[in-house]
Amino acid sequence: MRKEIKQTWHFNQSPEEVWEYLTKPELIEQWLMKNDFQPIVGHKFRFTFTAKPNSKYEGVVDCKVLEVKPFTKLSYSWNGSTQDKSRNYNSIVVWTLVPKDNGTELQLQHNGFVVLEDILAHTEGWKSCLKKMEESLKTMKP
Amino acid sequence: MRTQTLDAFQVIADPSRRQMLQLLSKKSLTINSLAENFDMSRPAVSKHIKILYGAGFISITGIGRERHCILKQDGFNELQDFINYFDKFWTTKLSKLQTILNNKANK
Repeated sequence: MRKEIKQTWHFNQSPEEVWEYLTKPELIEQWLMKNDFQPIVGHKFRFTFTAKPNSKYEGVVDCKVLEVKPFTKLSYSWNGSTQDKSRNYNSIVVWTLVPKDNGTELQLQHNGFVVLEDILAHTEGWKSCLKKMEESLKTMKP
Repeated sequence: MRTQTLDAFQVIADPSRRQMLQLLSKKSLTINSLAENFDMSRPAVSKHIKILYGAGFISITGIGRERHCILKQDGFNELQDFINYFDKFWTTKLSKLQTILNNKANK
């Protein structure tokens, strides 16, 4: 079962140029969301968006900068909630920039969903456990 | 006892229920042997089990006089939908970034 998101994108621009789009609020806003980001470890910031009327998710993501390695790596916590406040998800977003083919390979990892990880860490074996149960049920007579 | 209907996230928000699912991921257990792992009253254990059952995380099978709790996939599928939602979210956003950068390069 999947418990994280991993995507790899290639850009023709240099890591320096891509980095700007990950760290300058007015540039981030162009492709992601409104924000008050600053590339300073410990800085707390918010992404805000207008949630669609039928969306489950609330229009605010609370974040904190965790790691800043210029042109190489950026990570922040990503904590949000649903409109009705019934679900809170705490997670971590990690950006990694690697120079490649005269451009940049941008890797995104979105993981550490706190509500999920405890449980998913332990679900690997659940299928085999079901199978064992099935077998023991077969051999048991009521 | 009335059983509340909770969604998958509310279900696993509770540490005792997470622990129950962890125990059940190792092997199926009778309600009694599951209860032995918790310092709480039997009705409290039953309530948690009902909640897990209601949200599709476990099924309950009677074998002889014993009632066995077994993990079930439905509850876990709802959690998977959540991951898929964010995967799509990032794909949309990053393709927008790519368009912006490409347009910039062509100017």
